Amino acid sequence: MKVNDWCMYCGECAGVCPRNLIEVKETSIIFSKEECKDCRLCMQVCPIGALEPEE
Amino acid sequence: MIKTDVLVIGAGPAGSTAAKHAALGGADVILVDKKSEIGAPKRCAEGVSMGGLESLGIKPNPQWITRKIEGVRLVSPNGTSVWLTSDTVELPEAGYILERKVFDKHMAMDAARAGSRIMIKTLARSLQQEDDGYIVNLETMGEEFQIKANIIIAADGPESRVARWAGLNTATKPKDMESAAQFEMVGVEMEDNHCIEFYFGGVAPGGYAWIFPKGDDIANVGLGVLSTKTSKSAYEHLLEFVEDCPATKNAQPVELNIGGDPVGGMPKKLVTDGLMVVGDAAGQVNPLTGGGIISGMTGGMLAGKVAAKAIEDDDTSKERLREYEKLCHESIGKEISKYLKVKDYMLSLSDEELDSIAEAFKDVEFEKISTTELVKKLVKVSPRALLKLGKLF
Ligand SMILES: Cc1cc2nc3c(=O)[nH]c(=O)nc-3n(C[C@H](O)[C@H](O)[C@H](O)COP(=O)(O)OP(=O)(O)OC[C@H]3O[C@@H](n4cnc5c(N)ncnc54)[C@H](O)[C@@H]3O)c2cc1C
Ligand code: SF4
Ligand code: SF4
Repeated sequence: MKVNDWCMYCGECAGVCPRNLIEVKETSIIFSKEECKDCRLCMQVCPIGALEPEE
Repeated sequence: MIKTDVLVIGAGPAGSTAAKHAALGGADVILVDKKSEIGAPKRCAEGVSMGGLESLGIKPNPQWITRKIEGVRLVSPNGTSVWLTSDTVELPEAGYILERKVFDKHMAMDAARAGSRIMIKTLARSLQQEDDGYIVNLETMGEEFQIKANIIIAADGPESRVARWAGLNTATKPKDMESAAQFEMVGVEMEDNHCIEFYFGGVAPGGYAWIFPKGDDIANVGLGVLSTKTSKSAYEHLLEFVEDCPATKNAQPVELNIGGDPVGGMPKKLVTDGLMVVGDAAGQVNPLTGGGIISGMTGGMLAGKVAAKAIEDDDTSKERLREYEKLCHESIGKEISKYLKVKDYMLSLSDEELDSIAEAFKDVEFEKISTTELVKKLVKVSPRALLKLGKLF
């Protein structure tokens, strides 16, 4: 998952990740990519479309 | 390593209230938040009921209230308005519009005055269970450190991860996570800027749009959608709404707020050994309105009180902490279950049905305004509502 730089660190993606893989700091966001199953639920709920699948 | 009786993670309204009541009950309390400024950025339209604050023993303070609300305007998809104002009806659940950035800080200050230690810019990253509590790994200004606590209160809001580290299933499903976007705007031309406005139907699939006045020509203009009901983002819906709405088409945004609102109700389990979950992290949100300040603070108050007693009794087992779970389900839980059913009913209505309900509501005489009163009247004007909700209200 790629985080675009208009992310506002609201944490909504973290709340729905079924694997609890997203850590949102005050102004940065970290994914544990190895365990990501690419279910894209995080992408679906982001209010501003800041997440994109990695190429 | 720092040691404490109770560690509250998250200094939103729920966490600060939990910390305050745990400290008032005699426990050693630390309250941490990852933000450098508690309350900012806000993720909220800032509406609360007066009765709600009263029930928590909080006196309204002009420092954090921007406007007293004197009525409600409900707008159906074709623009039919239903006005419910204090000239015509009693307003037992009337409300205030807060300045959350100030309110949240004041609630944290109350927790500090009660004896809690506050650590800002402090992120909780993981935890390990110990025999008599948890060791939590945290980070502040690039430095890692640990806190050992007998009880953790997870108050980490809609992004809730803490309770899940301890094995509680509190993840929100996307169908229950309302995605919200809001502008604080200037130049808003409301018909009456002492009333809050709600817009229903296709403007916000799965939710609604709102305009909450903050005084003069300033207002929070936002909406919440369910991502399972639309392919557009909440922000795209918001741009369309402000362009089309007569009140906002000449207004300018000075702030963009985004965030999630877990509207699926409370999970059954809110505690495990040495841990309780409160506020948005525990789904303590009215699923119909998306309001979670008062219910989250109520959860926080109950958890704080139970935590202090558990520390005093030297028993932090899940059996002991279940007192909190029971109190929550009895108080907040019943209301949440009721409004979940109303939300499901509202979601099943087409724009045409919403218009015809608004048309019927225009002539209804109200004695009082409250969410419950509105639903009671809805049951009277809509045969479908009577069938689906008649027995609830
Ligand atoms: C757009 C929008 C409009 C809303 N409008 C209203 C309204 O008008 N009225 C109403 O009653 N409710 C409203 N709500 C809901 C309301 O904002 C929430 O219910 C309320 O803020 C929940 O309080 P809380 O204390 O549980 O969580 P939050 O207020 O979300 O606080 C959680 C805190 O935890 C911190 N945190 C998270 N993770 C960590 C970590 N790992 N370590 C340290 N700190 C952490 C965060 O920084 C944050 O400060 C709205 C929500 C949205 C999104
Ligand atoms: S939901 Fe979107 S804006 Fe919010 S933290 Fe995640 S990527 Fe950023
Ligand atoms: S794609 Fe799925 S598993 Fe991967 S981070 Fe997003 S929500 Fe989590």
